[in-house]
Amino acid sequence: MSVAELKERHIAATATVNSLRERLKQRRQLLLDTDVAGYAKSQGRSAISFSPTDLVCCRILQGHTGKVYSLDWAPERNRIVSASQDGRLIVWNALTSQKTHAIKLQCPWVRTCAFGPNGQSVACGGLDSACSIFNLNSQVERDGNIPVSRVLTGHKGYVYSCQYVPDQETHLITSSGDQTCVLWDVTTGQRISVFGGEFPSGHTADVLSVSINSSNSKMFVSGSCDTTARLWDTRIASRAVRTYHGHQGDVNTVKFFPDGQRFGTGSDDGTCRLYDMRTGHQLQVYSKQHNGDDNDIPIVTSIAFSISGRLLFAGYSSGDCYVWDTLVAEVVLNLGTVHNSHESRISCIGLSSDGSALCTGSWDKNLKIWAFGGHRRVI
Amino acid sequence: MTTNGEEAEALRRPPSLPRPPRTGDFLGKHRLSAAISRLNQEIQYLEEELNELEKMAPSSAACMEVCLSTEGKSDALLPETPGPENPAWHRWFQRVRSSHSRKWWTHKGSSDIS
Repeated sequence: MSVAELKERHIAATATVNSLRERLKQRRQLLLDTDVAGYAKSQGRSAISFSPTDLVCCRILQGHTGKVYSLDWAPERNRIVSASQDGRLIVWNALTSQKTHAIKLQCPWVRTCAFGPNGQSVACGGLDSACSIFNLNSQVERDGNIPVSRVLTGHKGYVYSCQYVPDQETHLITSSGDQTCVLWDVTTGQRISVFGGEFPSGHTADVLSVSINSSNSKMFVSGSCDTTARLWDTRIASRAVRTYHGHQGDVNTVKFFPDGQRFGTGSDDGTCRLYDMRTGHQLQVYSKQHNGDDNDIPIVTSIAFSISGRLLFAGYSSGDCYVWDTLVAEVVLNLGTVHNSHESRISCIGLSSDGSALCTGSWDKNLKIWAFGGHRRVI
Repeated sequence: MTTNGEEAEALRRPPSLPRPPRTGDFLGKHRLSAAISRLNQEIQYLEEELNELEKMAPSSAACMEVCLSTEGKSDALLPETPGPENPAWHRWFQRVRSSHSRKWWTHKGSSDIS
């Protein structure tokens, strides 16, 4: 077949793909008979009512000398690992505010960090395109630093996100600027599976975030600069289970909803969305009206759900941290305007394992812990 | 009578033997074939998804599940929540002595940090 004939076939196939995508979009629209807020309000639900001093900043973790990019709580309740532009990982006891470890990284351009399931190791990755593992119980070297116990190499682009598979200290998932996610065996340093890349259903741009389903750790979602989120089954690397459309900009953050059947996303388009994992339906858009021109819409950098899922915490480039009532899709509190709020972009958010505290990390170099300090009614 | 341009064109015309394919052509064909294969694979996936939508429940079913799933779950960050209340939730407002300093964390209800 000649090049000219192949080119014609390529054009025809591309046109077919575009037409099918448009038909899918229209069919899906017809199936959206309501969103979560529409349904909740029809059931008589009203927004959660917070007093302005209900959620208070009860700790400020100071010590980084650069922007905080990432944080992760340990599985037991009080410790946090954070990664910063200052080229360090710090492990904190959030209850006492003390630093238990400060790890100076060989590659200072770190973007992500994660705590291992048994609380004894931490992982980080960044612009070195690798993921480094540290055992917190290792003997420190002469310079006071903890040695690297393993480096996971193989990505052909920056590592933007990493997460240990729950209850599997030896397995970790990373996402990268090379458009793939990888499942690693930490003990051997080998790649177990590569998700995306050559295969047609993979992401077509940098993959910025991952979230593993804690109800079924074989499933994870990824968010990408290609404006989609994708669901993967770790047993089937050759194709994404489903692709979720809707966002109009980079998907910076993804997080599973506590019931394990839905997940939330946050994007450069300034919105958060809730998707149904199984059907692919976009169930809700969380979007605030902005005054001023469209070029100034703050982007969503990070999200977390409260333990019941009733609250969605979203961090923005403006320094705001909106607390959304997930069901009625209204902002019920803004941690960006209360006493002791961050002074700059919120880059990362995480909920403690017992759901009693939220940690926010910011470009103002601090981490803050928020907890409910008001009068609680137990029903 | 031919013009100078046509004579030049005739001279430039290749001999009757077929030209051997250039490396660039080969790579172009290879890449195009691979791209077409990927597009055909994607067409298959999209058609599968369209078929799936024929039998799919509308979003209201999932919306109901979302609302139900948040009920009955104890949540430390809500002003009103089903029990049991875990005493450990209060640890963030209890006095904790830091060994590095003599700071004491504030009582519950105050937003000042001393």
